[in-house]
Amino acid sequence: MPTSLLARFVLAFASLVLFGANLLQAAETIPPKPAGYFNDYAGVVSKDAALRFNEQLAQFERETSNQIIVAVWSKFPSASSLDDFAQRTYQIWQPGQKGKNNGAVLFVFVEDHKMRIQTGYGLEGALPDITCDDIIRNEIAPQFRTGNYEKGFAQGIDSIFKAVRGEYKGSGKTVLDKNDKGHGGIGLLGFVIFFFILLIALRVARSRGGYRYSSMGGPFFGGWSSGGWSSSSSSGGGFSGFSGGGGFSGGGGASGSW
Amino acid sequence: MFLLILLPGLTGCGSYNRLVTLEQNVNKKWADVQSVYQRRADLIPNLVQTVAGAANFEKSTLTEVTNARASVGQVKLDSSKAPTDAAELEKFQQAQGQLSTALSRLLVVSENYPQLRATEAFQKLQTQLEGTENRISVERNNFNAAVQEYNTALEQFPTNMLNKMFGFKSRPFFTAQPGTDKAPEVKFDFNKPPATPAPATKP
Repeated sequence: MPTSLLARFVLAFASLVLFGANLLQAAETIPPKPAGYFNDYAGVVSKDAALRFNEQLAQFERETSNQIIVAVWSKFPSASSLDDFAQRTYQIWQPGQKGKNNGAVLFVFVEDHKMRIQTGYGLEGALPDITCDDIIRNEIAPQFRTGNYEKGFAQGIDSIFKAVRGEYKGSGKTVLDKNDKGHGGIGLLGFVIFFFILLIALRVARSRGGYRYSSMGGPFFGGWSSGGWSSSSSSGGGFSGFSGGGGFSGGGGASGSW
Repeated sequence: MFLLILLPGLTGCGSYNRLVTLEQNVNKKWADVQSVYQRRADLIPNLVQTVAGAANFEKSTLTEVTNARASVGQVKLDSSKAPTDAAELEKFQQAQGQLSTALSRLLVVSENYPQLRATEAFQKLQTQLEGTENRISVERNNFNAAVQEYNTALEQFPTNMLNKMFGFKSRPFFTAQPGTDKAPEVKFDFNKPPATPAPATKP
């Protein structure tokens, strides 16, 4: 029967995606793409401040198209060097617009007292290694040393903005804004397809005498639309989510400690 | 009947085009590698000048860097085309490796000169050098990945029949040199203490 064949295909595909994702996560120490622009996984700044920073960074992309990401963890997760980790993470997150490569990530590891600004190819001119080093050494590190993380981030983000502004022009929208705009059309189609799949899955499950698979559609698609990791913050009102534009880095930037 | 003739011809064209694209990618990545190595070489005169200004700086370390820089300049490879000869690449890599060793030795030795390290000029140079070393390792990895993709395509059917016909050649990789992944060991001459006693301050 063609329907059951299709259903089997769909189910196989869905489980492949699910298990594939699981395997990848287990094998790599690279954190998945962050949900927002300012990601405080270590909880060193207040929720209000985090939201404010996130909005600043999102607005900066709208105005200039530069994607500046901040990620704060408590512990450095990799056995390799900070430079290497930052490079590999950057290649997965891909901040910066495709072709312009105008992204940068500020990595912070609170317990290790280490940080790095990693720049995309396109920001190496506006944010040369020396400038990154200067921002880390003189703007961020002194504040972190006294435990004032919020001020350190505020000054760091500000200095990055100052250095980078004027290098590229924005379109008034983030990558995610643009994707969302297309969602109106694709969303409806996706909804129809999703319903169709659900229907088939339900039917298959029923014919097998159980609802085992029918629950699969729920969390899978739910997790998808919320963007994965830190769903706790992404549901907040007015939160601007981040989606990498496809930028690459050649290992530019500077590392520092405090 | 048509298909029998047409199909191999079409796949042949596709494979040929793919090989050309991959080969160009290898060449592009090679140019990137060359440019980051050049970037490092360009930093050295400035570095040498800054360090030489510091009182009593160990001359032998500086000479080593200058010499290594000179020998790097002699192993010039075409920057628009990735080398096909493994020995050629090996020579290039050896010269650059010597410079890497000399440079990191210089950075280690400089820890004995806190006054020098405190100067802005030196800090900037160190940041630039570190950034350049990082870029070198990134671009080398990118190059190796491009070579691997190209070499694999060369071996695969039906492309492997084309490489003899059109003279595609496999490309050598960068290899990790023994020792270059580790900071070199530095033996200090304790009979001649540096200008200022060296406190073990690390940034």
